[in-house]
Amino acid sequence: MTLLRPTDPRFTGHLVRPRLRIVAGVCAGFARHSGLPVTFVRTVTFVLALCGGAGVLLYGWLWATTPDEAADGAAVSDLRGDRLPKAALTGSGPAPSDPRTVPGDLPAGAGAGPGAGIAAAADAPAGEPRRAPVTEILLGLALVGTAGALIADRLGADLPLDAIIPAIVALAGTGLAWRQFAELRSGAGPRSSGMLVRALGALVLVALGILLFFVTSENPNVWTVVVAALSVLVGVAVVVAPWAVRLTRDLSDERAAREREAGRAEMAAHLHDSVLQTLALIQQKAGPHSEAARLARAQERDLRDWLFTGATNGPVDLAAELRGIATTVERDFAVHVDVVAVGSVDREVPDALLAAAREAILNAARHAGGSVSVYVESSPRAIEVSVTDRGPGFSIGDIPADRMGVRESILARMQRAGGTASVRPGPGGTGTEIRLSLPLDTQEDTP
Amino acid sequence: MTDPTSATPCDLTVVIVDDHSIFRSGLRSELDPALHVLGEAATVDEAITVVVATQPRVVLLDVHLPGGTGGGGAEVIHAAAPLAPSTLFLALSVSDAADDVVTVIRAGARGYITKSASGAEVSDAARRVAGGDAVFSPRLAGFVLDAFGAVAGEIAATTDELDRLSAREQEVMRLIARGYAYKEVATALFISPKTVETHVSAVLRKLQLSSRHELTAWATARKLL
Repeated sequence: MTLLRPTDPRFTGHLVRPRLRIVAGVCAGFARHSGLPVTFVRTVTFVLALCGGAGVLLYGWLWATTPDEAADGAAVSDLRGDRLPKAALTGSGPAPSDPRTVPGDLPAGAGAGPGAGIAAAADAPAGEPRRAPVTEILLGLALVGTAGALIADRLGADLPLDAIIPAIVALAGTGLAWRQFAELRSGAGPRSSGMLVRALGALVLVALGILLFFVTSENPNVWTVVVAALSVLVGVAVVVAPWAVRLTRDLSDERAAREREAGRAEMAAHLHDSVLQTLALIQQKAGPHSEAARLARAQERDLRDWLFTGATNGPVDLAAELRGIATTVERDFAVHVDVVAVGSVDREVPDALLAAAREAILNAARHAGGSVSVYVESSPRAIEVSVTDRGPGFSIGDIPADRMGVRESILARMQRAGGTASVRPGPGGTGTEIRLSLPLDTQEDTP
Repeated sequence: MTDPTSATPCDLTVVIVDDHSIFRSGLRSELDPALHVLGEAATVDEAITVVVATQPRVVLLDVHLPGGTGGGGAEVIHAAAPLAPSTLFLALSVSDAADDVVTVIRAGARGYITKSASGAEVSDAARRVAGGDAVFSPRLAGFVLDAFGAVAGEIAATTDELDRLSAREQEVMRLIARGYAYKEVATALFISPKTVETHVSAVLRKLQLSSRHELTAWATARKLL
């Protein structure tokens, strides 16, 4: 195993199977890892496969023990530790049940050359799940084989039944173990007790098959028993080894993800202590409405978003949208917009509400300036947005009919969306407060 | 935030605790001349020593501080408060995410204000804390509404209940979250400013004593980071 994995730093650090593959990507991955030409690796594998199936065994072993590139890619690109294991495992999902990974068809596939590679490459990245029931087919073949052997025996053919039946039992056990292993790889099956039972069953079948092979043979002596015991151990090792290797790999993947997350947290803490402090100081020294303070504030908001809210990658919520609007408005006007959000909405927020809120914030920025407070409260029954400024204030009756802003884009828009909007004097009688309210039960489609 | 009438006539003594010297000197020069700065500290250990030695009325305390056992501002309050019984703590945070401040509030701070606030705002907040009031920013009020389940319609049945807010407290918090000053809240609800302050202090007490899992969970999470 160590021989097969030169750790030359000139090439890729880890042996991974690329997505561009013919069979399972082992040859291509190994070639990339070792720097040898792919064709050469494929030819050697093919030749080895002809030498008593050694190449096939080697191929199978490498396939079982090397990770998918997709899984590794996900691990690198996805910094969110909690999402990682799932992404990594589902990334390798379609591969195990791919019919082309059946060891029996390896030499043909491996020898097919670059021509077939294009076809394989074309559909591999699409990653549509091909859930061919490989194990079931194998089990079926085994049963058909048994039946055929029995019939042939009845018809008088001289078949070594005492060798064939144990062999088929052992094969069935291996098949079961194989399926279990595939499910473990794909992450589809939960690590439940059911899987454990199946794994144990597979092991028992393998052991039974090998034992039967020797016990039913003629004239058992000490040596056959010893050989049988050794065979059982080897069989168990063969079945369990890939599984154990995979588990170890999953564990180290998770550990690596945790380390990345810790590194990120450390960087966040550092930036928090240095850059954010400086930005706060700039805002404090420059006065609330100066250009420098606005720039510092916009930067602070961006950095904060990246540092702290990046971890929640759910659907974009209303508060985040409003903060985005606040940032753009602050860039365009000498105004300080504070967004306070309470509660959370777990559904799509109608565009009308967002557009009306944007219009209200813009209106406040344009006509009042200074500081604008935006308050969002999302309860299961209704969403309420209030935009408060401390400007000169206005009442809805004073608005000239030709000023479309408030009347059309806020009031009418909210009405069409099934909500209400009201304009009232702001806190302490100065300024304006625009309240938008949208009941969620009678929610209609946005115009 | 604009209530100069609550200023105490005598000089108010303060200590500034922040690990950035630029910030300390900046704040010191911006503070109201009526505030008398007794000292500065940059780490948890320094802060405890200075606060105990000078016994200021108000400590302007950064939430994130190096030193000590890594507990930051909360650790300073835990260690210094028993030795300086008349001292009150006002948390200063670069972050305007209120959950950042929950540990310090729960440790005993009487309010919090963001570092981007102007010197006049900080001075005013210090004065209000010294006068026995709690200082709530709009964001902290929003956080309180969230944490106490006000959005989901949870209302305290009795006045002693620590885990939920009364209907009146919710109204006050909603208006503060909308950016209303205490006086404006009083006008809007037709109550006296003193009553508003009573409600806010009651909420602060609940924030400090409640065992609602949201609060404790956030507090724990902050300690871990």
